[in-house]
Amino acid sequence: MVPAALATASGVGGAGALAGLLLPCRLRVPVVGVLTAGVGAGGGTAGVAALEGSRWAAALPGLVPLAGAHVAVDALAGVFMAVAGAVVVAVAVYGIGYAAGDGPHGLGSRTAQAVLPLFALTLVLVPVAASVSTFLVLWELMALGSLLLVLAEHRERASVWQAGVWYAVMTHLGLMLLLAGFALFAAQAGGETFAALRAGAQGVSPALRGLVFVLVAAAFASKAGTVPLHAWLPRAHPEAPSPVSALMSAAMVNLGVYGLVRTGLDLLGGGPAWWWLGVMAVGGVSAVYGILQAAMAADLKRLLAYSTSENMGLVIVGVGASGLFAAYGDRPLAALALAAALLHVVNHAAFKALLFCAAGSVLRATGLRDLDRLGGLRSRMPATAGLFALAALGAVALPPGNGFISEWLLLQSLIHGFQVPGVAVAVVLPLSVALIALSAGIAAAVFVKALGVGFFSRPRSEQAATAGEAPAPMLAGMGLLAVLCAALALVPGLLGDGLDRAVGAAGLPGSGALTGGGLRVRLADVSASLSPLWVVAALTVALALAAGLPRLCARRRRRAGARLWDCGGGAPTPRMAYTATSFAEPLQRVFDDVLAPEQDVNVTPVRESAYLVERVRFQRRVPDRIEHRLYEPVLRALAGTGQAVRRLAGGSVHLYLGYGFAGLVVLLLALTVGW
Amino acid sequence: MSDSLYTQLLDVTCGAFLLAAVIVLWRRELAAIVRVFALQGVALAALAVLLGAHEERWDLIGVGIGIGALRAGALPYLVRRALAALTEDRQGYATGGTETRETQPLVNVAASLLTAALLTLLAYAVSRPLTDLEPTPATRALPVGLAVVLIGFFVLVTRRRALAQVVGFLLLDNGITATAFLATSGVPLIVELGVSFDVLLAVLVLQILTTRMREAFGTTDIDDLRELHD
Repeated sequence: MVPAALATASGVGGAGALAGLLLPCRLRVPVVGVLTAGVGAGGGTAGVAALEGSRWAAALPGLVPLAGAHVAVDALAGVFMAVAGAVVVAVAVYGIGYAAGDGPHGLGSRTAQAVLPLFALTLVLVPVAASVSTFLVLWELMALGSLLLVLAEHRERASVWQAGVWYAVMTHLGLMLLLAGFALFAAQAGGETFAALRAGAQGVSPALRGLVFVLVAAAFASKAGTVPLHAWLPRAHPEAPSPVSALMSAAMVNLGVYGLVRTGLDLLGGGPAWWWLGVMAVGGVSAVYGILQAAMAADLKRLLAYSTSENMGLVIVGVGASGLFAAYGDRPLAALALAAALLHVVNHAAFKALLFCAAGSVLRATGLRDLDRLGGLRSRMPATAGLFALAALGAVALPPGNGFISEWLLLQSLIHGFQVPGVAVAVVLPLSVALIALSAGIAAAVFVKALGVGFFSRPRSEQAATAGEAPAPMLAGMGLLAVLCAALALVPGLLGDGLDRAVGAAGLPGSGALTGGGLRVRLADVSASLSPLWVVAALTVALALAAGLPRLCARRRRRAGARLWDCGGGAPTPRMAYTATSFAEPLQRVFDDVLAPEQDVNVTPVRESAYLVERVRFQRRVPDRIEHRLYEPVLRALAGTGQAVRRLAGGSVHLYLGYGFAGLVVLLLALTVGW
Repeated sequence: MSDSLYTQLLDVTCGAFLLAAVIVLWRRELAAIVRVFALQGVALAALAVLLGAHEERWDLIGVGIGIGALRAGALPYLVRRALAALTEDRQGYATGGTETRETQPLVNVAASLLTAALLTLLAYAVSRPLTDLEPTPATRALPVGLAVVLIGFFVLVTRRRALAQVVGFLLLDNGITATAFLATSGVPLIVELGVSFDVLLAVLVLQILTTRMREAFGTTDIDDLRELHD
């Protein structure tokens, strides 16, 4: 079943790329959309089959020159394949409606439509790779595909170009790290297939293992968009067409987590505590920093991108905790933490894809991403608003949203980790619990802001006031994602056995940490259980009671319509409503030291008198501080070095010849002396 | 031909070959440099013929004769013609023949000769492991080819006149050819044919470039071209 599904996905993907290249503009978008959905369906089926316990491995010697391709599917790969497949199906359907509005440009262009199925295919296939060369080839194809898609709208905005450059540079730096790490690992372990790496990992010296892990983990953390290697993410995600943002944010960044789990826990077979303390530190910092930046963002898609950084941070905290517990020998807890992290990957994919799609509908309808100029969309776009609200509920990690369950599991594993002995654990775990709680709290504010300012209150611009509902395919795609979100929120227990197998495939087998009877999530080794369905039922009843009782008890009927009391100041205008910036202002004051906002007051006096003011200009920006402190010095140093090196090229032919001659002589001398 | 005679002849040709390269460094007059270069071509051809005669391979002797025709005949002729084109319209200005003399090389002649000695030493040091692999008379002479490569490169780096540089490039190529002959005891005809045509074309192009340069800038001093970079 797995090979058949994967072969179908590959064939359909190839056909989709051909269709995108050859078909005329009008036919192109629907055909490519359907074929891309086929890719997702094939990959998703294979993933689900793997989660149900089927395994498959094969070597395809002719496919890649020299090394040949090695593929293998286990339950760990299955999780990520199933997630990617489901997201691809929904987003492809959504993309039909989205790209149809673009005409022959943007996402509807020939290049973008030809690349889209291939990108979807690589998303599904990266977890299948079972040798270093196969993995790197697919990884690079995925990076190139996403880069081309990010650049799809480069004609419309100049900022797309800049985002593309950032993304290309960072993703290739990541590839270099990955290449270095894996090459070192393969050389030490004596083989480049994952099976050989697994077998040879124990023979590698601890220092080299540590070096391999640091190199590879840095590359994967950069792909997952965690601080401080996140700089590409808040640029590329907003500038990409919305379906591409959804694919990148809900499927591509997950593969960073996949790589980390696969390499750290499976191939290297776990490691000392310092690896995982580092991973947890990175995860914790990105969770809080990402959500703080999201709170400050006024651009809707930028906000969602930073929220991705936060959620990946949470997942990575879970992975780090899992490794830490395994390093101290507590395997059941390690399995629980990893299962929580994987479940959060699944949940995040569902709600973040939906959020990006809804943001895309808003962008399509209004041409705006700026929350300060949106507003009042609830009445103009009721379906989109409802879907956005559902996804936002998942993102704030409160019941009955789907994000709640995975964060609850994560917290459970961390809290029960106090029984693990060790000073590092005793220091780190309370801190991580606090960081997760803090990020969940700020996330609530962030999504209240996004939903309340963007969709409620009054429209603050002409475009927002005249917006119309999204077309049917877009709503259908979002509807699929909404069903997934709801299913994950109500019956996450269905995933229990699959996640258990995945955790087993990652090298923590036989724990049975997470068992689900469909309706309940029960933790085997920790006496805790949760029935999301009952939570939802209780909440619904409570809401109904809260809304219904006053009506029942009230003597006379409430007046529904009345003029608002305006304090005598005249009718309220849209300018009086909260904007995204003003809503975030208190938070910004609280975290002033962390965010370091820049203020600029410019007073222009009238020419005749210095005491009469003609104009006051006030500007405040919240720049990404890490980027400011970390990247700009590096970029400046690089530019300075480049300028300095230019002096070596003075234009004299003799000088250039002299370089060659000196190089040759030095080389020969080195050879002579070294012999 | 007896072995000792072969060895002595081989050493004489190789010595002449190296000596020619050193004399190119010593002379300043471009016409004299070209004459010395032609003599080196003769030595190279003799080397190839000698190797062919020793191994009784007639194709190698053919290659040697071809090399002689190209490097002692065609290439010096072409360079000399370029030189004549430079001098013939200069009579009226009486510039003291600056265009036909390497008046001010970047490294003066004495230092150049010392450097050539050092480069030769380096070549001997580098090729010692190669000689140790199979010590025959031919491989023992291998450092000579390498030394000429290095000296040719040195001429290329330090001489100002475009034509002196062309000769430097050709010295480099002679050195490579000699190394190939000595190391492999004979290069196949087809390979040598390809290399020769390459060199011929390069010299034709450089000849045209030199004339153009002279027309455009009034000089063939390469250092005057430094304003051309980005």
